[in-house]
Amino acid sequence: MDPAALGAVQAPGVYQGAANVIAAVMLLIEFGMLRQALARDQVRLYMAQSVLLSVLAIVIAADRNLPDLYALAGLSAALKVVAVPLVLRRLLGRAGADDGEDELPGVAGSQTVSPASAVLAAIVLAAIGFFCFGAWHIHGPAAPATALAIAGAMVLVAFGLMIVRRDVASQAIGFFTLENAISLAALVVAAGLPLILETAFLFDLLVAVVVFGMLIRGHHTKAESLSTADLTRLRG
Amino acid sequence: MSAALPIPVIQLLQVLTVALGAPGVTGVIARVEARLQGRRGPRIRQPYYDLAKLFRKEALAPEQASWFFLAAPLIAVTCYLTIPLLIPVLTSYGLPLGYMGDILGGGFLLSLASFVVATAALETGSPYAQLGSSRAKTFSAITEPVVLFVVFTVALLTGTDLPYALAATVRSSAGQIIRPAHLLAAAALFMVILHETGRIPVETHTGTNEFGMIEEARAFEHSGPYFALLKWGSELKQLILFTILADVFLAPWGLASTQHAGAVGLAIVALLAKACAVGCAVAVIDNSFAKLRLFKITEFVSGAFLLAVLGVFTLYLGGG
Repeated sequence: MDPAALGAVQAPGVYQGAANVIAAVMLLIEFGMLRQALARDQVRLYMAQSVLLSVLAIVIAADRNLPDLYALAGLSAALKVVAVPLVLRRLLGRAGADDGEDELPGVAGSQTVSPASAVLAAIVLAAIGFFCFGAWHIHGPAAPATALAIAGAMVLVAFGLMIVRRDVASQAIGFFTLENAISLAALVVAAGLPLILETAFLFDLLVAVVVFGMLIRGHHTKAESLSTADLTRLRG
Repeated sequence: MSAALPIPVIQLLQVLTVALGAPGVTGVIARVEARLQGRRGPRIRQPYYDLAKLFRKEALAPEQASWFFLAAPLIAVTCYLTIPLLIPVLTSYGLPLGYMGDILGGGFLLSLASFVVATAALETGSPYAQLGSSRAKTFSAITEPVVLFVVFTVALLTGTDLPYALAATVRSSAGQIIRPAHLLAAAALFMVILHETGRIPVETHTGTNEFGMIEEARAFEHSGPYFALLKWGSELKQLILFTILADVFLAPWGLASTQHAGAVGLAIVALLAKACAVGCAVAVIDNSFAKLRLFKITEFVSGAFLLAVLGVFTLYLGGG
């Protein structure tokens, strides 16, 4: 029996398969953030996701012979695995310390829907993102179409995360993972982009970190909590 | 060069391996689990002694129960012993009866077995047995979509839904293993197996603690040989699920490709070793996570559902 004759989907090959697997795991981590109740664990997941992004850059660099990408992988790891989590932890840690807590604050109460429903809703979002990106039929030499579509799904799930959580910490992390998703898409579609451009995009993230840092600080000093539920009232 | 075995004998050996190996695998898992918890643990042969003891005991049935109460364990074990005919247990080539049913056929038999046991438990009128069967049915209904999506993935990967075909596809090249659809489906199936064998997320598979009691509770009113059959049935179910995971999804290697007695013998050893390896992994996972509240089960299953659905998604763009 020949599977192809029966309409089976052919395997894409080891390199594309590996790129797709890494992208899929990144998407799964995004879903994992929907479930996490502690800001500390969310930061950890963000680190794991960023590590995978660097690994994907290395895989693409090795397969497509693009030495630039090794540098990008290193830079992205330094920024997203070390610097951003450090800043986030300090910010959140200070917010926690002001409240008289030793640890990073929990974001447990900030779910607007139960984790299971959030996951189901996010599956629908992921489907929309996935098939919309897939419908564009972008096929580059380095572009596994599936990895690109997964990046599209990740963008929407990250938006979903920012919507279903009512605390600034989760929203900041949702935004940073959104940037991860876009980096993933960029890596898959335009792996051959000049390093200087890629680096410039990467440093956009720093702006976002500063803005969110100020947002977290400002909100915490004003509302004395990280929850955005207080913002629904128009007058203080 | 060893002698070639006739096909019917190999077919019979598939059933016998599962039937006789299942308590042993349970014994190994119990032993590993005990070690993990810092206990010495029972002998590996203990499940065999337990079964032998129960088969010698007197059987009692509640007064109100009908013939079905006593027939249910027999039907369940018959179902479990039919499934090894349908899945690759020892051989990499399909045996004649292997095409009697596909993955869904095997799934139907598993559900039928679970259904008759639950119905028999309902007949007793015992609150614990009824609680167990109602929980088992509720939760198997929510794991059903996961299993269906795993089957869809298999169908898209191979163009059929025969377990033999998927095992052959996985063996065919490394590209078939490192593809998200295959890995996601295998992970989803593994999560379902953790749930179905009573490990994670709420149940203690040996315990009689009613908060997390699902499978164990259903056999409360059975005794003697009938209870032995139910116990043996759940051991069979565990080995069958492990076999499906190992021989179809994760490691379809070590199966006999010829009819030679040596190759088949090696396949028996390989199967039991793989099942014990999966069992050890399950025991480690079981002992390293805290049990959840009963109604957190939906979170666990939604995780498995996510994996299975993403598996099907990735296939639709031709790259999964």
